[in-house]
This record gives sequence, structure tokens and C-alpha cells, in this order.
Amino acid sequence: MSASTHAHSPVLKHHFNDLGQQHASERLGMWMFLATEVLFFGGVFGAYTCYRLWYPAEFELASSHLNKTFAGINTVLLITSSLTMTLAIRAAKLGDRAGLYRNLLLTFALGAAFMVIKGFEYAEDLHEHIVPGASFGGEIAADTAKHGLDAGKVRLFLCFYYVMTGIHGIHILVGLGVILWLVGQTYIGAIPPENYSTVECASLYWHLVDAIWLFLMPLLYLARGAVHYGH
Amino acid sequence: MADPHSHPPAHGTSYDVTKDADTPGGLFAVYLVVLLLFATTFFVSSSGVLGRYALFVQLAIATVQAGVVAYYFMHLRQGDRVVTLTALASVFWTLILFVLFMSDYMTRHRVVTG
Repeated sequence: MSASTHAHSPVLKHHFNDLGQQHASERLGMWMFLATEVLFFGGVFGAYTCYRLWYPAEFELASSHLNKTFAGINTVLLITSSLTMTLAIRAAKLGDRAGLYRNLLLTFALGAAFMVIKGFEYAEDLHEHIVPGASFGGEIAADTAKHGLDAGKVRLFLCFYYVMTGIHGIHILVGLGVILWLVGQTYIGAIPPENYSTVECASLYWHLVDAIWLFLMPLLYLARGAVHYGH
Repeated sequence: MADPHSHPPAHGTSYDVTKDADTPGGLFAVYLVVLLLFATTFFVSSSGVLGRYALFVQLAIATVQAGVVAYYFMHLRQGDRVVTLTALASVFWTLILFVLFMSDYMTRHRVVTG
């Protein structure tokens, strides 16, 4: 392919007819990847649903010991980061480089704040022995015994809690890396309006991670209400 | 695929990416809706009024939230049909996943042995 064939746009890859086709292909490819992510999390959500229906009292008790304040703040942070990410796409489309910088950095800050709060939450959980392993104990263990519930099933919930939030946290970290890369691309001028889809593809991933948290939050932190254990 | 040598070179520059740009007002409205739904699930769940239906109500609200995020923030409303089909396919496959193994695990206690 000669350079002169598509000299009209440096963004246009040689194997596409035009930018519209290129952007549509990029979106489709990203959505196909997201479909695999939905199935990946779907397996974990399915296992959680099954065990929650089997052991509602233990799951409710364990959930009531998690920190809802941290989780609530984190939910607001992620929803807000989805807004700033979408505003970043808008800025990229309009060629507003300052707006693109601002919104990408805001999204990064919100995502980083999410992870920092998550870190504090994990530290608190470890301090209070809210763990599935051998150091399980403290108030949650006493509460379990007081209500005559099975500690093993409470610890099973905690396994789900750490695995689900851990996998989600890894996805957030990957997203933060991609956003930093986008900031670098913006700095070197590699995201002109016709290349906005680079931001859009990253945003699709970020929104999915946000949407997954919207399911994790009530399932893990707001389980109380399903049944009233021991009362 | 058309022959690139016969393709009009001006095609790439005539593509107007700004025409589908979101309005900030619209995005903020969607943001507020998602926040409102979160506040609903948070306070209703915390109050305990949902009782045994909590799980299903929470999942329903989360599904609506994810749908709003997908439709507006992820631009499904502007997407090609094949993109919409891909998104719906992921939901469909997840439903198959749930139905198949739930029909096993949720009915094991009904198995008559001997």
C-alpha cells in the first residue's frame, strides 16, 4: 500500500475504506471483547447467586459487617468517572485538547481515588478479621456464633467478596493504565478529532467496569434485607 | 473491499465526527438518573423493606442502571445494528449460563434417590 493512497488522513488505516468504516470496526471489536468480559463476570455472579440463595442468612450477616460508607463513596466516584470519560469523548470529537486532558485526568483521579478507598477498606477488613482464612475472627465470628450460623458459609461469602472486588480492582488498574496512555497520546497530538474512537474504545471498557460495580455494590454490601437472621 | 486505488481520497476527510457529539446537559441528566437509581437501591435496601425480594429488586435496579450506561454513555443509541446485536448477544449468553446451571443447583434437593 503506497502512502499516497490514503494521504488524506494519517489516522486512516490502509485496510479500511474510510474513517466511518474504521471507527465502526473498532467499536465492534471492542464490544466483542466486552461480551467476553460479561461472560467472565457472569460465571462469578452466577456462583454468587446460587450460594446466596442456598445460604441467605450467612450471606446477609457477612454482608452487614462490610463498610457500606466506603462502598457508597466508591460507587459515586465510579459513576462520576463514567461521566467524565464520556465528556472526554466529546472533547476529543470537538478537537478540544484542553477538555480532553482535563476529563481524562479527572477520570484517572476518580479511578485512583476508588482504589485508594478500596485499599483503606481492605486494611479495615483485615484489622477486624473479616477474612475467609485462618485469621477469621473478631466481631463477625462472635456475631456468627451468637446467631447460631455456620462460620464456614460466612467465610464462603468473604471468599466471594475478595475474589469479586479483587478481579474488579484489577480491571480498574488496567483501565487506569489505559487512561494514562491516552493522556500521553493526547500530549503528543496523536488524538485529533478523527481519532476520537481511541478514546471511545477505552471508555467502553471503563463503562463496563463501572457497570459491573453497579451489580457488585448491592450484591456484596446491601445483602441485608433478604432475610432476618436469628431474629 | 473496494479497490483502494479507485477510492476517492476525499472520502476520509468528509467524515464529520462532530455531528454525533453528546451535549453536556444530556450527559449530566443521564449521570443524575444513574446516581438516583443508586440512591434508591442503597436506601431501600438499607431500610430492609424489600424483605426476601431484596436480591431481585437490587438486580433489577442494577440492570436498569447498566442499561442506561450502555445506551447513553457507551453510545449504543448511536451504534450500528451489529454492535447492538453483540451487546444483546452477551446478555443472551449470560442468561443461558444462568438458566442452565441454576436449573441444576436449585433443583438438586428435589432429586428422589433409591
